[in-house]
Formats: sequence, structure tokens, C-alpha cells
Amino acid sequence: MANSVPEGAPTSPIRKRRQSNVDVDAIHDDPGSESMAPAQLYATESGQLFHSGKLAIVTVGLPARGKTHISVALLRYLRWLGVKTRAFHLGDYRRAHMGEGKDVPADYFHVNASPSSQAIRKMILEKCWMDLHHFFDEENGQIAIYDAVNPLAKGRKKLEEEFRKKGIQTIFIESYVDDPKIIEQNVRNVKISSPDYANWDPDAAVQDYIRRINIKIPDFETITDSTQSYIKMINAGKRIIVNRCRFGYLPQRMVFYLMNLHIQSRKTYFARAGISAQEDSYRADAPLCKAGREYSKRLIDALMKHREQEYKEALEEGSDDPETPLAVWTSTRRRTVQTAEPFIQAGLKIKQRPQMSQLNPGDAEKLDDEQIQEMYPEEWEKHQLDPFHHRYPRGESYHDLAVRMEPIILELERDKNDLIIIAHESVLRVMYGYLMACSTQDIPTLMFPRNEIVEIIPASYINRAKRIPIPGVKPSGEIV
Amino acid sequence: MVHFFKIIDRGTNAEGKEQIEVIWVDADEKDQVEDVQICVVMVGLPARGKSLIARKIVNYLKWLSINAKSFNVGTYRRTETPKPGAEFFDTNNTEGERLRRAAAEAAVTDMLQWFSTGGHVGVLDATNSTKSRRKWIKEQCEARGCQVLFVESKCEDDEIIDKNIRSVKVNSPDYKGSDPEEAVRDFMNRIRNYERVYQTIDDDEEKDLTYVKLVDVGTQVVINNIENYLQTRVIYFTMNLHITPRSIWLSRHGESMFNVSGQIGGDADLSPRGMMYAEKLPDLVSKIVPEGTKLKLWTSTMKRTIQTAQFLPYEKKEWKALDELDAGVCDGLTYPQIEAKYPADFKSRDDDKYNYRYRGGESYRDVVIRLEPIIMEMEREDNIMIVTHQAVLRCIYAYFMNIPQHRSPWMAIPLHTVIKLTPGAYGTEMEMFNAGIPAVSTYREKYGSAEMGESEGAASADLSMLADTAKTSQEPDSVPTGPAPVEKLEKAAAKAAAKLGAVGESVGELAHKLEQEIETIEDKVREQKEVIEEAVLKRRRSLEVRGKKDTDGDTLLME
Repeated sequence: MANSVPEGAPTSPIRKRRQSNVDVDAIHDDPGSESMAPAQLYATESGQLFHSGKLAIVTVGLPARGKTHISVALLRYLRWLGVKTRAFHLGDYRRAHMGEGKDVPADYFHVNASPSSQAIRKMILEKCWMDLHHFFDEENGQIAIYDAVNPLAKGRKKLEEEFRKKGIQTIFIESYVDDPKIIEQNVRNVKISSPDYANWDPDAAVQDYIRRINIKIPDFETITDSTQSYIKMINAGKRIIVNRCRFGYLPQRMVFYLMNLHIQSRKTYFARAGISAQEDSYRADAPLCKAGREYSKRLIDALMKHREQEYKEALEEGSDDPETPLAVWTSTRRRTVQTAEPFIQAGLKIKQRPQMSQLNPGDAEKLDDEQIQEMYPEEWEKHQLDPFHHRYPRGESYHDLAVRMEPIILELERDKNDLIIIAHESVLRVMYGYLMACSTQDIPTLMFPRNEIVEIIPASYINRAKRIPIPGVKPSGEIV
Repeated sequence: MVHFFKIIDRGTNAEGKEQIEVIWVDADEKDQVEDVQICVVMVGLPARGKSLIARKIVNYLKWLSINAKSFNVGTYRRTETPKPGAEFFDTNNTEGERLRRAAAEAAVTDMLQWFSTGGHVGVLDATNSTKSRRKWIKEQCEARGCQVLFVESKCEDDEIIDKNIRSVKVNSPDYKGSDPEEAVRDFMNRIRNYERVYQTIDDDEEKDLTYVKLVDVGTQVVINNIENYLQTRVIYFTMNLHITPRSIWLSRHGESMFNVSGQIGGDADLSPRGMMYAEKLPDLVSKIVPEGTKLKLWTSTMKRTIQTAQFLPYEKKEWKALDELDAGVCDGLTYPQIEAKYPADFKSRDDDKYNYRYRGGESYRDVVIRLEPIIMEMEREDNIMIVTHQAVLRCIYAYFMNIPQHRSPWMAIPLHTVIKLTPGAYGTEMEMFNAGIPAVSTYREKYGSAEMGESEGAASADLSMLADTAKTSQEPDSVPTGPAPVEKLEKAAAKAAAKLGAVGESVGELAHKLEQEIETIEDKVREQKEVIEEAVLKRRRSLEVRGKKDTDGDTLLME
């Protein structure tokens, strides 16, 4: 119920940054005082970007309308852009306050709740607001996402007023759903996995959950105030109404991002390109060698077998969803295009994107650490200090790569197919960094050996990564 | 198929094995685009900025190599009724109604015909103000397998409308020679006639349509039923458009040491003359930028642009995306060296400069793709100055001046010159300011010699070329460039023949190959001639119909 804990949810509302375990999605960790984010264009003294000032993004919507999905997705994107953003999920505070397995009183969400319920409400809210204001006032935060039901127009007006007094602009993001199928899907995906429904028939559990929401939160008013800045997502983005959001880059960019967001679950696979014939160099753009060709065949075999197996298992578990089609993305570099050839022969659609070309190593190309140290002692030192942002002469940094790949991130969100991305390790690092919220310290050292396909399984609250072995291939890409 | 190898050379290596040299070719331009055809249908009353939006969308997509074209119903109607009074637009005027319907049908028919020849995004620019008209268009398009995206511009703010009428409408060919106040009055009456039948897109009844509704220049935006990424990009683009007057100042970096030595690429410092330009720039800019203008200054991350901008007192930002086209293996070479080292590449680059990708480097197409976010930012921004590189400037210039791809890589952008672009409703105005500091010419013409000119007059020659391009780009449908002059072909043939002599073996075979090549070139020339003749004829016909007005205003008129 309201106490159901999404998978991976923290027990205390705010966690500290994970200790370099890059297999876990770090989106809910506090990035701490880390200097810059992957695709951050610039830094300012005030710590605020895009001339937007401070923003409060306030979600509006009943439970099971995908609010958390939207707020986590926005959080991921804004952090990626380098905006100091944190989400405050009121539900987390509620759970933390009530304790494991305990639900709030029945009238907790009612307008005329009993004094004791109101007192609980107040305590939970106060704790959440303390953290939120601390974030703005003490931690130089720029955007707070306040994820709560916020059902009443009057309450929202008051919220906006409170923020305005502190010089913070409010944008409401409402998720409004009148399509019962979408509500059911949301409930099925995230809500009924809770222990409350352990032995329930799934359909009955869904209906029970919806019934209980309706009793619990009887009053809800959709946003209609044309003086407010809001983005209203209707039926999971089927219609989007954007009101008074023309005041800056960030709100427009958020709208662009939300236009591409969808709730269909799909998987993303990462694979390296095979090894090349000649001595590999950035400028040579060499074709695959024989082993590289063989690798490409083993890659598609391993992936197809894995997908068949998973589909079979899903069918056995009673799923009646059709198999999601697979699309292939590569860069325009020869090795990636050639590695995708068996996929073309299997009749799959290929998209080539020059933005996904590998990081240009510049003058440091083909030099080992010792040689660089000898030839470019100053650059070497700078690189050690900040391997993400430092660029060797004539080359690109990971940061340059992340900025150039931003359009790809939006296209990635839009695509509803399962995707296999065949690219250079540097490109995979950056994309993985986005999907798993890796820090700029971690991204340059992420490992993608050629004997594995990395699979990212998305969920509203947290993404999961899994590694699928490719039999008969060594980590280097040579054939066993 | 999305790619293939093209064999450019065969031979045997030291061990007697056959060796084949190949280049990588993208066969299908469309691989950059989703595999869909979209019809963008403008909706809204006259004077709501529809044609401006339509023109911007077409320019933007064409620049991204997406085959796009605008179909303006007013142009079709005007062939029958060049200067109608407001009564023509009265819905009770059955003859007027019939003519307007016929014009709409003709435009839709032409557009669908164009789709069947491989068009990607067609923009139907008309009021399309009734539900039944929209339903009819949707059916027509969907029967052809095209998706339909309606873009409605709705405006309740009388001030914006009045401004639009005064600045744009009274210059319409419909009112050529009329008294401006009379024209405004007539136009207001015309709008009133449209208002009687106008139905805004109905959020309930028409909920199955894919549409975006922009209310009061984007104060409220309703986005409905988006189907793919390309549509979201078009919508995001229109959301970023603004109508505040502003200018963009462009400059190449000052002459660099590599320019002097004739090398391409690199990250060289400025030459002494380049440094003179950098020092003179603040003075020049202060003369051509109106006082009190808030200016943002963008450079690339390369030394020569940063050095050029160093004395300018504006807020600066370095963009990696503004770096020069990466010449890959040819970086640091001179044109004669490239010609000697990679003769086949040198030629293929001239054959199709826009698509040619340097080995291990970039093509113009690649540069355009990486510049897209910059263009989006430029649309959002007000006054900006950009100091960057020749290839990058060609791409930016091509976007604002609507220069087709087969010409943009050949434009000469002179050194030591500031270009001012002022976007307006009728197209973009261009002015140039030469700093009067001599520099080498870095311009090499198509199939021209690899040796670079060093003449004093180089800068002025460049200027005239660019000015010429600017003029022609204002034509509604820019016709393809003329065929390569016959002398040039002869020169190429003579050069090739000279080479043949030097080779001295299997001359017969090579000569035969050459003959064939010349034949294909001649065929191309013939084809191009025909295309041009046809375009000229078409143009002459339309001129006759419309009178002598000759700007791209026609596609702009908010019919």
C-alpha cells in the first residue's frame, strides 16, 4: 500500500554516495561535493547553470500515475547536465517516519483528517522541508524535485508562494491519467510487488490497490491555473500541456526530454566493436580483422540466445506481452559498422550516428603511459588530476564526448525498441554513466571487456545492470 | 544497405599479392533520419506567423540533410487571383471558395507527388482552419503512408497580430502598390472572414491527431500524440524560435601560421597579420555593433580562435563543437601534399565535398550534425558573436542563408572580415565588414589547382564570391549551380593526360577509362543544364504571374 517499498528504495531518505560500486544505479545517492557532472557545459561561482536561478519542480498526481518515474528520469537527466538537483520523495519520508511495515492512518490524506493524523502529516512534511531548504540554503542546490501527491489547488498555490518568498521559481509537473489501462500497468509494475500482496492473484491485487487509493485520497484537483508554470503530462505523455515555461533554457529542455520519455519497459545492451585488422589508430579507422568478424558472429549468437531464453521464461511466467523488437545503433566508424553486419543479415534495422564515434585521443594516441609522461609531462599531470575533463592536445575529453552525445541520450529515451549499441569503449562508458548515474571519477575507468554484453534493465525507481557472457571470446576480443 | 566500399585503386604489393585500396562511402543519406515521411500541416488564422514557422522548419531540416519542402497554398491561389480583395475570402463568396479549394487541392496533390519521389518532410502552409479540411488532408496523406503533424499557431494578443500585419502583410504581393493603411484595413477584413469559419484544433474531437498548438507565441503549448523522435525535434525547434530582433556576428580566426604555410588543420598560433586582426577587432566590432548591445561571444577550443577573440570585452564561452572540421590523416598537410599522397581522396573530395569524410576525420555532414545543438542555442539566444573556422562558418552561414549542400562547402569565407547576419521575417540579411588587413587566401575552387593563391587581391575576390552566394540564396527555389565550365574539364583532362604520359604504361586502358569518365561528366552537365533550364522557365512563368516582386517573401507570406 502506501507503505509498499519500490525495489531498491533506501531505508533512510537520503543516502551517501556509493563507494564506487558501478554495478548499482547511483541515481538516489547524494553526489556530495563532486565538482562537475558528465555533460556539464561550464561551472559558475554561484553553482547555478543556464541562468535559470533556483527551481522547484513540484509533482502533482495520484499514486500509480508514474510521478516517481518522471521525477527520477528528470533527476537523471538534470544531474547529467550538471545541474545540482535532488529529489525529495515524500513517500520515502513517510515510510521512514512510520517504520517498516506500518501504514499511515486511514484518513491521512483526507482534507478533514483527525488531529492525530494531521500531526503525523505535519511531522513528516517538516522533516522533508527541512532537508529541502537545507539543500537550497546550505548546499547550493539549484533544482529540488518535490515528489508528492499535492492534490489540491489551494495547497499548490501556497507552495508556490512559499518558494517565491525564497526567490525560487516553481514548475509543477502533473501526471494525469484517465486511461485505466495505464493505471493498471503502473500498479502492476511497481506497486503490487510489496509484501502486502504476497499471495494475491495479480488482477485482484491491482483492483484492491486502486480501490484503496480512491478511498484514501478522495479529493484531487487537476491543474488549471493559467498563471502558474506547469507541464501536464496526460496519459503518460500522450498529451503534454506546457504553460508559461518559456522563461529559460532548462524548462524548454525539460519539455523536450519529457516529450521523449515513455513508460514502456525496454532493454539496452552495450557491446564493443570487434578488433581491427591493421594496427589500430583513430585516424586509420581500420576495418575488422578475421577475429573481429568472428567476434561479430559470436556476439549476435550470444545475444539472440539470451533474448530467446528470457522470452521463453517470461512466457512460462504467464506473460502475454509480445517480444520487443531489437534495433541496432552504431557509430559511423568502420569497426562498429562492420560488427553490426551480422545484425543486418538477420534483417534488423541499423542506425549510424556520427555523435557516437569514439573519443578522439589527439596527440596522445598510441602512446603508453610512460611515453605520454615523457613527451607531455604537464598534460600527463593534468590528466591524472581530472581524467574526465582533461583533453590531450588536439583530442577530446570524456566531457567533450558526453556533450556531443547529448542528442543521442534523448533519442535513446524516445526509442521503444530494445537496443543494442555497438560502440567504442569510451562511448559505452559515457552512455552507461548516464543510465547508471556514474560519477565523473568512475566513468573513465569503467570496463567493457569484449567477452560480455552489458544489459541495462530499466525501472521507475532504479536501473539494473547485468552482464551476459559471449562464449568463445576472450576479454581482449580474440577468439578462443 | 547503409554503407559500402568503393574501390579506388588496385595494385600488387611487394609480395606480389593483389592489394585493393578502398574508401568508405555512405550509400544512404536517409540513415540519419527515421524511416518516415511526415507532412507538417500549418493551422491558424492569417498573420499568426505560420509561414515564418514553416520556412524555418524547412530550412532547419534541409540543413540537416532531411529532404524538406514547403507548399504554400497562397502561391497556388495567386496564379488565378493575383490581388484579391477581402471579399474574395468571404465564405459566402462561392466563386472565391471554389478557387481557394482548388488551390488547396493543387498544393496537396503536388506535395503528395513530391512525397512519392522521396520527399521526407513536406510543409503545407495554409490556414487549414476547419476540422473537415484537416480531416481531408489527414486522409489524403495517410493513404500515401505519410504521418501528419499539425502545427497550430494561435494568438489572442491583438498587439502581436497588429505588429505582424504592419511589418509583414502590407509587403505581400497581394497589396503591391496599395496604400498601406488601406492594405491593413483590407487584411483585417480578410482575417474577419476567416474567423467566421475558423475552428481551433479540438482537444477532444480531434484527439487522435498528432499536433502541437502554440498559443500566444508559446506561452502555452499543447503537444498531442507524438509518434517519433523527428517530430519531437521539430516541435522543440519551433518552441525555441523567437521574434525578438537581433543580429549574429561571425568571423573566422585571424590568419594562422598554418594558413601562411598552406597547411590544413592543426592547432597553430596566429601569424603576425592574424594578431593584427585580433588587435583591431575590438575597434571594428565597436563600430558595427550598436552601442549598449549585450553581446555573447563564442569561440572554438582552438588557439587561433581564442587568440583572435582575446581582446574583445564580452562574456566568452568555448565550444568544442565549434572546432574546425577534422581532416583526419590529412591534418597538417598542404593541398599539394594531399594530392600527392592521397590522389584518389583528393579527387573524391572535389566530387562530393559535402559527404566526403577524411580518413579518420570528418565530413561536412558530420560537422553539421555536431553543430545542431549550437544552432538550437543560436535560435534561442539574442545577440551573439562567433569566432570560429572556415568549414564551421560555412555550415552556420548555410543554415541562416539557406545555401544548398552542393554549394555550401565551396563558399569562400574570407579571413579578417566580420559578417553580420540579421534574421527577419523575409529571410536573413547579410552585411560584411573587412578589417583591411591583408591575409593569404585559403580558398581552393572545385577541381582547381592544389596550389593556393597568394595575391593581394585575394580577400576582395573572396568577398565578391560570398556576396554573390548571398544574393542568389534569396531566391525562392535556389537552382542547382551551373555545370563545371568546359575549360575546367579540359584542364582536368589535360592534367590527366599529362599524368598518363608520365605513367607510360597501359596508357590505352587508362585513356579509355578517362574517356568514359569524361562521358559521364558530360552526361551530368547535360542533366544539370536541363534542370536549370526547367527551373528558369518555371521561375519566369511564376514571375509573369506574380509581377516583378522577387524575394523569398512569397514562401513567407502568411496566407
